[in-house]
Amino acid sequence: MAKTVTFTIFRYDPERDKRPYYKNYKVEVRRPGMMVLDGLNQIRWEQDGTLAYRRSCREGVCGSDGLNINGVNMLSCITHIEDLKEPIVIQPLPSLPVIKDLVVDFTDFFSKYYIVKPYLITKTPPPSDRERLQSPEDRKKLDGLYECILCACCSTSCPSFWADPDYLGPAALLKAWRFIADSRDEGSDERLEIVNDRHGVWRCHTILNCIEACPKQLNPTEAIANLKKAIVQRKF
Amino acid sequence: MLGKYQGSGRSGAFDWYFQRISGIALVIGLFVHFIVLHFMTEPPLNYAKVMARLSSPLWKAFDIVFLVFAVYHALNGFKMIIDDYVHGPSIRSFLIGTLWVVAIVFFVIGFLTIVSL
Repeated sequence: MAKTVTFTIFRYDPERDKRPYYKNYKVEVRRPGMMVLDGLNQIRWEQDGTLAYRRSCREGVCGSDGLNINGVNMLSCITHIEDLKEPIVIQPLPSLPVIKDLVVDFTDFFSKYYIVKPYLITKTPPPSDRERLQSPEDRKKLDGLYECILCACCSTSCPSFWADPDYLGPAALLKAWRFIADSRDEGSDERLEIVNDRHGVWRCHTILNCIEACPKQLNPTEAIANLKKAIVQRKF
Repeated sequence: MLGKYQGSGRSGAFDWYFQRISGIALVIGLFVHFIVLHFMTEPPLNYAKVMARLSSPLWKAFDIVFLVFAVYHALNGFKMIIDDYVHGPSIRSFLIGTLWVVAIVFFVIGFLTIVSL
C-alpha cells in the first residue's frame, strides 16, 4: 500500500458553519514527486467534494493556488508533499477575507495593484516606423521584477499588510518599481507620488517575509528599498 | 480609491529619512562622548573633571544638538508605530498630539538640565 500523509485543512463555509474548523484527511502518496495540489485534488475527487480551493495551470505560472502551508505562503502546485513536515497544515492566505475553505477574496489585493498604475505610461509619441526599443542592458534591469504572477503570497505574508488595511503591500510596490525601472516608461513621477504615502512604501519595515514567500524567488523588499531611495533622492 | 493615496500632506518620507539621519547622529554622538570620557580625559576620572568639560559652551551646544536628535528619534519611532497600527483619525490625532506634548516636555527638561550645568 502507498504511504499516506495527513493534510490538516482549514474548512469554512459561511453559509453553514458558525466558525472555521480544521479537518484531517489522509492522502496517499501514489508516485514520487507528488505536489500538495495533487493531494488536494485527491481529497476533492475521491473523498470530499465539498472542499473548495483555486487552481488552474498546476505548474506555478497562473498564481491561482497561493496557500499558507505549514505557516509559510507558497504555491500548492510546485510544493512537493515529501518536502513538508507532517501534519501538513493548509490554510487560506492570511488577512484576506475567506469566501469558502481555501478560497479568499482578492478584491482588495487587486484594487491596490491597480492603484500603482501597473502598465506602461508614455508621454512622447512612439517612433513612426517601429516599436519602442530597449537596449539589452536596460531590459536586464527588469529581471527579477517582471516575473510576478500575482499570487499574493508576498502581500499576505507581510505583517505591515496585516496591520494596515490600506497598505499597498509588496506585490503592488514591486510592480510600481518594475515600471519605474523600465527605460521605456515615463510615468515615474506619478507612480512615486502614489507610493510616497503613509500607506505606501513607508509602511515597509524590511521584515523580509515577502522574499521568503515568493514562489518565483523575487525580492519585493529590494524593490521597495529602491522606491524609498528614489523618493528620498528627489525630495532631499 | 486612488484619492486616498494622494495629497495627504505628510507622506512619511521626511519621517523615514530623518529617522536614519538622527540614528547615525546618535551613534556618532554617543561614541564621541564615550571616547572623550574614557580615552581623552586625564585619569583619574572624577566628577569635577567631567563637570568642567560639560559646562563649557561648546559641549553644551553639542549636547543640545544630541538632545534634539534623541528626542526626535525616540518620538518619531513611536509615531511610526502609530502609523503602523492606529488608523482611526481621531485616535491618531490624539496620540500624535500626545507625542508632541511628551517631546516638548522632554526637550525642555533636557535643555534646562544642560544649560544649568
